[in-house]
Amino acid sequence: MNSQREFVAALLDPERDCPAQLTTWNGSDPAVRFAVYRNNVLSSLVDALAASFPVVQQLLGEAFFRAMAALYVRQSPPRTRILAEYGADFADFIEAFAPASSLPYLADVARLERLRVRAYHAADVAPLASETLTAALAAPDRLRDLLLQLQPALGLLDSSFAVVSLWAAHQGSLQIADVDPHQAQSALVLRNGLQVEVIGIHQSDSLFIQALQAGLTLGHAAEQAHALNDAFDLGTCLAHLLRAGAITHSAYNHQRQLP
Amino acid sequence: MNTTASQNVVSAAALALALGTALALSSVPVTAQAADSEKCFGVAMQGKNDCAAGPGTTCAGTSKIDYQGNSWKFVPKGTCEQTASPTSPTGFGQLEAFKEVKQS
Repeated sequence: MNSQREFVAALLDPERDCPAQLTTWNGSDPAVRFAVYRNNVLSSLVDALAASFPVVQQLLGEAFFRAMAALYVRQSPPRTRILAEYGADFADFIEAFAPASSLPYLADVARLERLRVRAYHAADVAPLASETLTAALAAPDRLRDLLLQLQPALGLLDSSFAVVSLWAAHQGSLQIADVDPHQAQSALVLRNGLQVEVIGIHQSDSLFIQALQAGLTLGHAAEQAHALNDAFDLGTCLAHLLRAGAITHSAYNHQRQLP
Repeated sequence: MNTTASQNVVSAAALALALGTALALSSVPVTAQAADSEKCFGVAMQGKNDCAAGPGTTCAGTSKIDYQGNSWKFVPKGTCEQTASPTSPTGFGQLEAFKEVKQS
């Protein structure tokens, strides 16, 4: 095995011995120094996860979280130099992690926190000028064919659990004892300026936004959402998007001419 | 309203009403605020900079060599004590392990 691979393997596996070729400048025991380095690598990555997943840590307690995160770090070391991207599949790891199975909503809380980090670092795109939509409003017969493009920061999560309430309770905006974790909720994550927002939405809103993202027209997307739930409120849903400047471009779909 | 039950078609009037409502609900302040803000570097979220410890600052507490990854005696805690748990005798999560209550 080449020495660099051996070094990396030993770094991640505490059962392995210190790589044989290591020497120290002052004659001290390389194994002790390697152990310190190994611990620094591990704990800095665990710290990065703790910074990205603060609510998951609060739900588990620090000791449990750090022990679980350490296992994840050893199993899935970073693939890029960008620490903000680290933990992209941490939620999947949590979902399969038996000791945390008493908190079945934990993986979705992690997914929500991941969407927040992603939103925070997503590219800036200027919001659509409101005059453009006001102009579109002047031609109501063409509204059905309007295509809307959304900001790259936007994230959606449909959960079987009360992810939004659980998350909000850890921001001090809800009493956690009032939260029923087993109530299905959908979350919309947006970035307004530099502020990442989490908004609880209906599943039909989520479906509508996914349809827009998939390139469906306003009319088509609204119909899909209505089909899921007649109570779908297009006005409120669009207002959420507009308020955060989440609509970035618009166009008419010319392939679908009105009859 | 404004949808026909059979085909579930959303009318132009309904779309116009919704968009008009949305524009009214969301009017003005947002874009102004977004335009005023600027991206500031050097204030990355904690742990997101390239070295959590920083050059020359060996982290405090590094003498503990490892986390014991193979002992799973920890019980989820934190806000867990206030979070509803259907299997718990108290109805909420607990700091000590508990015998699960069978759900009928």
